[in-house]
Amino acid sequence: MPAIFHYISQHARGERLPPAEMAASLVLVLLIAVTVRAVLFRSSLAEIIAERVEVVSPLNGWKRVVEGLALLDLGVSPYSGDVFHETPLMIYLFHFVIDYSEIVFMIADAITAVALYLAVQDYNKIVYRKQKYTLEAGRYPLDVAELLRTPKEMMYIPIKVAVFYLLNPFTVLSCVAKSTCGLNNAVTALFILCTIKGSALLSAIFLALATYQSLYPFTLFAPALLYQLQRLYIPISVHSPRFWIFTSQYGSMYLGSLVVITCLSFFLLSSWDFVTSVYGFILSVPDLTPNIGLFWYFFAEMFEHFRPFFICVFQINVVFYTIPLSVKLKEHPIFLMFMQIAVISIFKSYPTVGDISLYMAFLPLWHHLYRFLRNIFLVSIVLIACSVLFPVLWHLWIYAGSANSNFYYAITLAFNVGQILLVSDYFYAYLRREHHLIHGLYLKKKDGTEETLILK
Amino acid sequence: MASFVGVQFTFCFRIIVILFFLHFYRTSLSAHEIETQASHFFRSGHTNNWAVLVCTSRFWFNYRHVANTLSVYRSVKRLGIPDSHIVLMLADDMACNHRNPKPATVFSHKNMELNVYGDDVEVDYRGYEVTVENFLRVLTGRLPASTPRSKRLLSDDRSNILIYMTGHGGNGFLKFQDSEEITNVELADAFEQMWQKRRYNELLFIIDTCQGASMYERFYSPNIMALASSQVGEDSLSHQPDLAIGVHLMDRYTFYLLEFLEDIHPASQSNMNDLFKVCPKSQCVSTPGHRTDLFQRNPNSVLITDFFGSVRKVEITMSTMKLNPNNTERTEIDVNEEMVTTLQHYVDQLPVAEIIHQKPKQKDWHPPDGFILGLWTLIILIFFQTYGIKHLKHVF
Repeated sequence: MPAIFHYISQHARGERLPPAEMAASLVLVLLIAVTVRAVLFRSSLAEIIAERVEVVSPLNGWKRVVEGLALLDLGVSPYSGDVFHETPLMIYLFHFVIDYSEIVFMIADAITAVALYLAVQDYNKIVYRKQKYTLEAGRYPLDVAELLRTPKEMMYIPIKVAVFYLLNPFTVLSCVAKSTCGLNNAVTALFILCTIKGSALLSAIFLALATYQSLYPFTLFAPALLYQLQRLYIPISVHSPRFWIFTSQYGSMYLGSLVVITCLSFFLLSSWDFVTSVYGFILSVPDLTPNIGLFWYFFAEMFEHFRPFFICVFQINVVFYTIPLSVKLKEHPIFLMFMQIAVISIFKSYPTVGDISLYMAFLPLWHHLYRFLRNIFLVSIVLIACSVLFPVLWHLWIYAGSANSNFYYAITLAFNVGQILLVSDYFYAYLRREHHLIHGLYLKKKDGTEETLILK
Repeated sequence: MASFVGVQFTFCFRIIVILFFLHFYRTSLSAHEIETQASHFFRSGHTNNWAVLVCTSRFWFNYRHVANTLSVYRSVKRLGIPDSHIVLMLADDMACNHRNPKPATVFSHKNMELNVYGDDVEVDYRGYEVTVENFLRVLTGRLPASTPRSKRLLSDDRSNILIYMTGHGGNGFLKFQDSEEITNVELADAFEQMWQKRRYNELLFIIDTCQGASMYERFYSPNIMALASSQVGEDSLSHQPDLAIGVHLMDRYTFYLLEFLEDIHPASQSNMNDLFKVCPKSQCVSTPGHRTDLFQRNPNSVLITDFFGSVRKVEITMSTMKLNPNNTERTEIDVNEEMVTTLQHYVDQLPVAEIIHQKPKQKDWHPPDGFILGLWTLIILIFFQTYGIKHLKHVF
């Protein structure tokens, strides 16, 4: 790939890349990604991947979409019988494009990548500008020069984000399996793009769409709100009237569009079945097919009279971290958004690897935190090893019969612990960098010896 | 002379007439005897016999329950019920238990006098198959289609069924396998199901457990007679231990029942009142009870062999019998007029022709127009809201 080498040599010489070449490299990455996916679509691996439980869940399997549309053609509501759990807008979309489904999913991946690319480009500009103002105002201590970010290192972040999303094996698997998680990711990425661009209406509409699709993104309301407030220089305090005005505006746009979309979906099939089939299904977790999440094993062995209690506990666990994290990270809403997406992917009721690939695409944004990460080697080994062990232990459990569900759940647990460690490691590194930016890089106690920082 | 001959003639004539009448009287008397004997054929109303013998306890120290059931099995087989009509359920294997000092035997009398296991025992439900569910399914006939005939109670409305249950029980329940119970209400409902499905003609229910009388308290279906070894609040006691085997061999009630049945042979005329007298309090320590209020015949007209044996009613006679035809008139149906000539056909359930010929999928469903209109209006509105109305100029 001569273009990439060209860019690296330019980087070495310290020149800025013209935007046209950045766009060209994006197109190149898109082409590579599309090729990879097309090759896999045409091979025999497509059916094998489409049945893997790590990639496909009862909520977003392609088989179920086809089944639902077939039921609709036979004149029966697709929500009858617990097979189809997509929203009516999905029915509308796929009714017309079902013959071109592969292209649709590749376009969805491309849209996600381009949206993230543009969003990160804008975000980098904002971050750099803020840093410049803080530097000119002299508010940084003197020894943090090596912590500051330069345009050189920030230049390649958007393309790296696009590469991280498109060429991530998880994303490729999810696209080849034609899991509608790819479409959910596209809507979330568009929401992030609109938020960073500053358009409150579009951001509210895409957030409403994302919530309508899979219910959990409503927790992304907080980081989006914080970002918009920060962008409009509205102080984030409960005493400021502008804060309340904007919050109510944004909130009403969001809720209004959610209501409009829901009512519009009613008119598609003239029934409210989809509410219980989609949201009731997500919330009450009746289907206990194994997946890479935490719900299935727990609820498989749960006594019936404890079930509502534990469902509430598990679902609250997803949304519980929003408010504390928002309080801590109110100056850094995009990092909050990253953490929130990660928390949703880990703790949602039917996660798949497609959800993971969305927050992993954000990791190049924080590559300047590398020096503060403590467990990154361990975490990456855990994640890779568990990803490899998933199909192995599934085979041992289901086909060979020499393992049982405990083995598979152990790997699920280890995988989720690895993800949580990854997110918390980045959280620690981020906060540590912010602390150093305020208090200086080489911290000394009163008697002159080096201090150590602990995250409490 | 003529008068003497006349007197002789009239005398002979009278004797002939008397003899003639006597002859007729005798034949009519023997005919009447045969008629009464023939009427015995239709006294009890059943044509076949079944037995369901259930032992519900497991573990070695419950040897006596298995011995109880096997002794009743032995009697029932000896009196003529074949294995195909006996459903024997034993919850544990005592004959081949590791602790049995005489393997392949189950004794009912001490000093190993009587081996009730024998050579030709056929156990239909063994070990863990003896559950409340299986027992109720056998009684009601609701078994999966794959169940073999030997495990089914294939009785009909002319069957007399003997049901014998033994094990550990309490007030209103009988314990199965140390893990579940059957209640008297369930049992009564099962019998009612059997009655409604015409699965029995008459039913004799014998139970040998502690507080056994509580199990027949709730019966409400007709033609059931029930016996129990003890009243509510009393325990049924075991009879005697064998020091070589180390456990109690039989329960008292069944021990004396077995002794009673050993005297019964297929032609015996002992009736149920004798059975009620089996094992008085002096011998049994508990008070046996019985219930006959649901039974329609008088117990003293019910033979023991009506339930415990399978007696074929065969009476050999050299004389002819005349059977009275039924008094009801048969109505002659005019066959020609009432023959139904309309052709029957099945309703089409699936469009089979379409499925088989794999027509290409016609998308019959279309989204409603209102939906499409609403959706695209919203999208266009948002587009122009975001990008400003001035772009409309460029469009037009």
